[in-house]
Amino acid sequence: MIWKIAKKEFLLNLMTFKFVIGTTVCIVLMAVFMPGLVSDYGERLQNYNGNVAMNEAEFQKVKVYNNLTPTVYRTPTVLSVFSKGIVDRLENSERIDLDEVSGTETGVGETNTLLSVFPTLDVTLIFKIVISVLALLMAYDVVSGEREQGTLRLILSNTTSRHQVLLGKLLAGWMTLAVPVTVAFIIALLILLTSNAVSLSGADWLRIALMYVVSLVFVGSMFNLGLLVSAVSRGSAIALVFALFLWLCMATILPNAGAHIAAQLRPIESPEQFAARLKAITDQRDREIADLPRDIQEGEGTSRSDGTGAFGNGLIVFANKPFMDYLTRLYPITEPHKMQCIDKLLHVKAEYLGGLVRQKHLADTLAGVTPIILCERLMSTLAGTDFGNFGSFKGRVRTYRHEVADYIRDKTANFTSPIYFTPSKEGDQERFFETYFKPYDQTQDKAEKAKLYEIAMQKYQQAATDAPTLALQDFPAFTYRSQSLMSTLQQAIPAAGLLIVEGILFFALSFVAFLRYDVR
Amino acid sequence: MIPLIIRKEVLETILSLRFTLSLLLIVATFAVGGFAFVSKYEQQVQDYSVDSNRSLAALRDRTSRLYRLALHKQDIYRAPKSLTLCVEGFEKSMPNYYRLNAFSKELPQIKGRTNALMFGFFDVDWVFIVSLFLSFGAMVFAHDSLCGEKEAGTLALLLAGSVPRHKILLGKYIAIMLTLGIPLLLGILVNLLIVTRSNSVAIHTGEWLKILVIVLTSFLYLSIFALLSMFVSSRAKRSVISMVVLLFIWVGLVIVIPSSGRTMAQGFQKVPTQVELQRQVGDATSRLSEDCIAGKYGEKAGTATPDGNECDPEGRARFRNDATQLANRMIDEHINRMIAQVAAGRHFTGISPAEIYRRACESIAGTGIQRFSQLCRQTVRYQDDFRDYICTRDNEDPASLHLPCEDSYAAGMWKAMSHQPVDFDTVPRFQERDLALGQSLKLAIWDIGLLGLFNLAFFTAAWISFMRYDVR
Repeated sequence: MIWKIAKKEFLLNLMTFKFVIGTTVCIVLMAVFMPGLVSDYGERLQNYNGNVAMNEAEFQKVKVYNNLTPTVYRTPTVLSVFSKGIVDRLENSERIDLDEVSGTETGVGETNTLLSVFPTLDVTLIFKIVISVLALLMAYDVVSGEREQGTLRLILSNTTSRHQVLLGKLLAGWMTLAVPVTVAFIIALLILLTSNAVSLSGADWLRIALMYVVSLVFVGSMFNLGLLVSAVSRGSAIALVFALFLWLCMATILPNAGAHIAAQLRPIESPEQFAARLKAITDQRDREIADLPRDIQEGEGTSRSDGTGAFGNGLIVFANKPFMDYLTRLYPITEPHKMQCIDKLLHVKAEYLGGLVRQKHLADTLAGVTPIILCERLMSTLAGTDFGNFGSFKGRVRTYRHEVADYIRDKTANFTSPIYFTPSKEGDQERFFETYFKPYDQTQDKAEKAKLYEIAMQKYQQAATDAPTLALQDFPAFTYRSQSLMSTLQQAIPAAGLLIVEGILFFALSFVAFLRYDVR
Repeated sequence: MIPLIIRKEVLETILSLRFTLSLLLIVATFAVGGFAFVSKYEQQVQDYSVDSNRSLAALRDRTSRLYRLALHKQDIYRAPKSLTLCVEGFEKSMPNYYRLNAFSKELPQIKGRTNALMFGFFDVDWVFIVSLFLSFGAMVFAHDSLCGEKEAGTLALLLAGSVPRHKILLGKYIAIMLTLGIPLLLGILVNLLIVTRSNSVAIHTGEWLKILVIVLTSFLYLSIFALLSMFVSSRAKRSVISMVVLLFIWVGLVIVIPSSGRTMAQGFQKVPTQVELQRQVGDATSRLSEDCIAGKYGEKAGTATPDGNECDPEGRARFRNDATQLANRMIDEHINRMIAQVAAGRHFTGISPAEIYRRACESIAGTGIQRFSQLCRQTVRYQDDFRDYICTRDNEDPASLHLPCEDSYAAGMWKAMSHQPVDFDTVPRFQERDLALGQSLKLAIWDIGLLGLFNLAFFTAAWISFMRYDVR
């Protein structure tokens, strides 16, 4: 009997005006906006590839090991078209450097921060707004509408029991709503697959499948909520108004009010404090380094040539023996010290970022009782655009820093080898001075002197550019895998559980309400 | 006859559940918005006074020598504004920190207690409440204004009397606007009471006038939704169908179209990233330095020795000024492109009355993107004034070479600029100038006109449609 009711209701629903218009709106929105979202991703990918290629090209120019300060980039997530999440607003690169920690601001991922005047648009928005409205529209008159028409009495006067009627209607509603969800996903996938920029891995497919399931559960819960409203109200008009106000609160008031309360309850560290904490650490480091015994005047015997080094660094083209000796004694002390300091800086930065994330989490949690926010959170977790994926990138960068440091330590015999800072060999500078600067010093003639100076400078530049580049075939490559599906699932379970519980709760309540419903 | 219809309609709506629901919801939201604004504003004022005092103290420190003052990078912060109460305009995600000296400047940045992860959220300001809730309320009140009567069979009865159709239409329209006015005005009143009761927010006379204009614009905006709902209501046979159609139109106009602005903006206009801009500026200035080394600014323009007579301070100053001007120009162009990108997106989203309304209110209140571009322009003007001041003071010192340029070496060693102290009180300081109501209105007039046009279009549509409505 349940099945029969469901089938009849389902067919009836398909014929309704609201279903037709809701599904059409969904399809049109998908078809119009999906290409834009995909091309946005394509652009991000292109930027990423450009940056990575530029970084790779620098490796060909490395002449000394202390120039090895590559930048690592976070790969854009293809599933961000489904849910933008927050990763776009977080930094997407990090420079591996012993001296400083780069990118202390958030928001650097955005090209134009002014674009924040437009709310984000992604597939989730279409689901959480359009399809959730449709779900409520399908459900608001399920009980109260039949009562108004008088058909409810007719049905119940037969042998059909109340729970059969309700279950049949529930099944029919779910089946009806599955249609636009499925169609929307198919269109999204079609547009995604026809784009050249996109390639989906097996895990991506699985994630999309899970997002599909979440969407179904979500519209199911919303339908149950509508059912509850319908079962507690006498007239369908009142049910509709009530359901829509409920929806408005859930979709707009709660999330924004939650953000406000979160900002009050959990204020973030002021940027000045944060900058001061970073500065205290670097100042301390610089003081400690300055306190090291200096058995040589700084600058003595050096020739710096900035800009010829890789990754925008300068390098010492020539160094005389005392200076070279001094540096080979100095670096083994300073560099490990700097590395420790970097760890401290990273810790402070992580704390600051953690503060931002905690505020966002609180905002989500405060508003997170509603199915709409739960769905949004789940989608971004599954798409890998919430903080989890960013965290795994950061974790990987931290280990990569140590890999790079270990590599350099290994290659330079614990920073004692001159190749750490200069490509020149012992005696090179003396020979160079002998050959080019001595004649210059000895000449008295002004014109001749200028010419000799010119030649000496040219040769110097030549020596800088001609210095052999390092063979870096065994340099550790930065590979980073986005968060595994298992850990994503682990993160998603609480929200998913809550969503399902809410769905069941709404149904249970509407069941009770319907059993006590006065059908007259 | 019309007053009678209005009175009866208003009474009927006021006694309905939907009115009570919306009234409660809207007034509560206005109250929440008021409390949230006060606490946020207090924090902003506190942060701003700390920041600007620090910046002024640093400026005062530099007055011991004119050249140090000229080369000192000033920090300019955006002051908190009380009218963000009405429309915050996403100011939290806009650059609020400008850094400049007499010659060069930096790209404005976002500084302060901002959490970029929260940029996606709206502030619960008036425009947010009106554009979302009250427009929704307008729809709920008006969706069955005509077809509902037909369903009930009362429309045929009504028209059987001597009342002409246009009177019914007008009466119903005015009644809807009046019922909408109750939650709107009551909400605003509660909100203003909360805000003015706290002593931290001061609203001036000019701002009260602006608030009044914003309230009037809100009515204009709500009237669009009332008329649209009446139009749909006069096309539909049943009120449920009218509600469904309106709901989807509302979702499209108020939520989907504004959200699509970003994609559209990025499609139409490209803006390089900050890193790219820095690279471009670096490349351009290093090309200029190469020119300088090659002798474009005179043979000795590149040399710098302690004795100015051995070098060419004039050539060096010309080179420096060219370099700073070039960099400034590139930064200005970048800012213009950022604004143009948003404008491109907003041109598209301008098909939605909600966006037009937001834009109009931002222009009137002087917040949001409008304020950002104003501030950028004002800092440029301030920099010019400041440089003029430096030049005038420098000319008074006979010991100076009178070569103002961004070069601490030239200024320090060769006295390219004066080393005399200056009186701090005479130094021009940056002061944000609010636009007068007339100027703000001029900026908003186009948008207000558009809102009026929407009104006219839907009114005509509703009129024609109702005249031809089959009441059976």
